[in-house]
Amino acid sequence: MAVAAIETVGLTKTYAGIDAIAELGIEVHQGEILGFLGPNGAGKTTTIRLLLGLIRPTSGTSSIFGFDSQRQAVDAHRRLAYVPGESSLWPGLTGEETLHLLGRLHGTLDAAYRDELVERFAFEPTRKVRTYSKGNRQKLVLIAALMVRPDLLILDEPTSGLDPLMEQEFRRCVLEAKERGQSVFLSSHMLSEVEALCDRVGILNAGRLVDMGTLSEMRHLSSLTIQATFEGTVPDVTRVPGVSSVVVDGHLLQCQVHGPVEPLLKVLANASVHELLSREPSLEELFLAHYGALSTRPAASTAAIDAD
Amino acid sequence: MAATSAPAATAHMECPRELTSTRRVLPFGVVLARTSRQALRSGAMWGLIFGIYTALQAVAYTLTYKTKAERLALAKSLSSSGGLSALTGPARDLQTVGGYTAWKSLGLLSVIGAIWALLLATKLFRGEEDAGRTEVLLAGPTTRRAATVQTLVGLLVGLVALFACTSVLVALIGRARDVHWAPSASLFYALCVSSGAVLFMAVGAFTSQLVASRRKAAAYAGAAVGIAYVVRMVSDASAGATWMHWITPFGWIEELGAFTSPSPTALLPLAGATSLLVAATIWLSGARDLGAGVLRERADARAHTALLGGPVGLAARLTGPTITVWVAGISAFGLLLGGVANVAAKSLEASPSVRAALARLGGHAGLVKSYLGVSFLTVTLLVMLLAASQVTAARREEATGRVEHLLVQPVARARWMLSRLALGAVAVVLAGTLAGVFAWLGSVSQHAHVGFFDLLEAGINAVPAGLFLLGIGALAWSLTPRHATACVYAALVWSFLVEVLAGIGHQSHWLLDTSIFHHIAPAPAVSPQWVGALALVGLGALATALGVARFSRRDLAGS
Ligand SMILES: Nc1ncnc2c1ncn2[C@@H]1O[C@H](COP(=O)(O)OP(=O)(O)OP(=O)(O)O)[C@@H](O)[C@H]1O
Ligand SMILES: [Mg+2]
Repeated sequence: MAVAAIETVGLTKTYAGIDAIAELGIEVHQGEILGFLGPNGAGKTTTIRLLLGLIRPTSGTSSIFGFDSQRQAVDAHRRLAYVPGESSLWPGLTGEETLHLLGRLHGTLDAAYRDELVERFAFEPTRKVRTYSKGNRQKLVLIAALMVRPDLLILDEPTSGLDPLMEQEFRRCVLEAKERGQSVFLSSHMLSEVEALCDRVGILNAGRLVDMGTLSEMRHLSSLTIQATFEGTVPDVTRVPGVSSVVVDGHLLQCQVHGPVEPLLKVLANASVHELLSREPSLEELFLAHYGALSTRPAASTAAIDAD
Repeated sequence: MAATSAPAATAHMECPRELTSTRRVLPFGVVLARTSRQALRSGAMWGLIFGIYTALQAVAYTLTYKTKAERLALAKSLSSSGGLSALTGPARDLQTVGGYTAWKSLGLLSVIGAIWALLLATKLFRGEEDAGRTEVLLAGPTTRRAATVQTLVGLLVGLVALFACTSVLVALIGRARDVHWAPSASLFYALCVSSGAVLFMAVGAFTSQLVASRRKAAAYAGAAVGIAYVVRMVSDASAGATWMHWITPFGWIEELGAFTSPSPTALLPLAGATSLLVAATIWLSGARDLGAGVLRERADARAHTALLGGPVGLAARLTGPTITVWVAGISAFGLLLGGVANVAAKSLEASPSVRAALARLGGHAGLVKSYLGVSFLTVTLLVMLLAASQVTAARREEATGRVEHLLVQPVARARWMLSRLALGAVAVVLAGTLAGVFAWLGSVSQHAHVGFFDLLEAGINAVPAGLFLLGIGALAWSLTPRHATACVYAALVWSFLVEVLAGIGHQSHWLLDTSIFHHIAPAPAVSPQWVGALALVGLGALATALGVARFSRRDLAGS
């Protein structure tokens, strides 16, 4: 089997006694796009900086195409390109000079593709970096990463600051890269972006990987949302095995089913169902389900203030 | 929050008043607190250095020139030399401890104060704006001009700290029986020393409005200091040009006549120029766009990619202009030293005690060489400052995160770090060597008859100290990145202070050995100790090697 584009084993980074990431084990196959999700402070950027060898792990290892991220960083970097979410560049260089520099350093610049990208992203390379807006700066680092056609793209919130048009262009570029067989590691808060692009998704919370798999696998393992409208009274389904989050609103019933749906269907069949809807959860719902505990906390405190 | 403390009803009723009071409190809280904290710390530190330096001069005088006859001889020998006063300012009343102290300290300290002030002002104005922090603050309920006024008040706090620390120390030494200054004279002296800082702080605030980057703002203000200094030198060098005294701030400061013939009228042009600059700063800050300067920059620029092929080329592109200015400045200083050497030595010949002191340094070499030997320590100091600035600039690449764009490329950390340090080393070698060459050119112009190779050697002799500091800096940078700048300058200031102490009397060998200067022979007064110099270079290389090894294995550290 081909060597993995990214592989981490027991990767741990501790800051002042607190694990920024703990015992992380992920693998990105060649030619795959892996989405990396997690709330603020989950450890996504820390993971990426470890992969790039910018910081040292407390324990564990990571490798890029079989090259150790720390000890063989130069070999690893020859095969990847990185886009940070927020970057400070040399304010005195122009966009063109920056692209020239980064292309020469990487060594495999495709000038024709660079010019094509400059055009597609409507980027003005003749101006000084100091005068660029945030979005334009982001375009610059994106073009710099894409133009060298690396075997692996490591992207940390790459579309922050891009307008919707450019965001579309970015997605096209990533899909083209995948067609060419490049691998992509994409950390993002834009769930629609991850849903549209990624083959597999990893979800990180407080430094730990809490879920990993293809979207359909994750959906399969999670609950189904059922909505039913009744002609008569709504039957009591709260005791049916696997059913949770029951909400009754007049003739309308909404609930979640985990595992086999048969027991619930039997109960429903006995009542007169007027309309039945079932729906797989969106990535957003999956994501929120993992962080239910987190998102209830601010909501509860808001409620307390409102009550006053 | 409100629910837990006050009853809900009162909380609601007080709401509008709370809001208006927040409006009033916020503007005069945030910006002022930020700037004054930084300015206070820095001003107090430099005030202490100024005070100590001044006190040391006074003590050195009372120890070296004990009798009235010696003091009169000194005064007679140094009072009428154009070349020397060009360099150091006119020597007045050298038969008094005040006159000597003012002569030795005022010229130097007012220039250092000016540079400190312009760096602080451009940092707190343009540096904060460059970093985007001003934008965050201005989003609050305050206006551009109000924020500018607050920053100015914060800077004023720094000036007051500078003045207060200097005056306290000077007044304290003034109580010594041999020194004996009136408290009012001490205060006036501290005012004179600080006035360069006052004016050039305003200049720094003003240039921060003109141009859109801190480096440029500091460069413009620095150029103003340079011009003012050169005009002062010309006016002091020739008797016919004394009117030029009145067109340069450093001339005004001399006219103040601290400790000799106090004349506060010269405060008028200082106050006038400062007020004008401050008013212009406040007005311009409201009239321009945030993040831009009054002088429009062309946004479009032609690409110059010749150097941008690798880490060395990039480093050359980024630091080239700064290094050029440094090397040119140090060369010009060498030219000046060579130029005044002959005159200075001639005037020294009149004074037996000074001659004795200098001859001790110089062995059998001539008095010119002795004079140059002492003066070249200043070249060494400048070369070390250049080395320190190179370490600081390299660290800044890491602190801002810019270096990450390089280090995620196939560029080893060691390669990047070594390329930065190598460039610094080249700058140090160039600066030392050219200082020697230009000192020779200067001496030839005045028929001083010092050999070319003697002066070349003297220039090269300054290089090992710079290389050593570069190595120490590299080590500090890799071990404690966030304190690298402080460590490097601390090593420099420490060496300088120990050297000044050494000039006063016999100190313990253990203490002297901690000063980098102490390991440099005062060439061309004596021939350089190449073995010791090589040892310094070797230690620097060792520190560099350790630093590079450590840097390759640690986390990158942002600011
Ligand atoms: N240099 C550091 N020192 C101390 N703690 C750090 C450092 N860098 C990161 N952390 C901590 O590690 C944790 C993970 O941070 P990280 O930047 O990886 O989060 P993230 O998932 O990228 O968040 P975001 O979505 O906001 O970008 C956070 O709790 C952060 O405070
Ligand atoms: Mg992040």
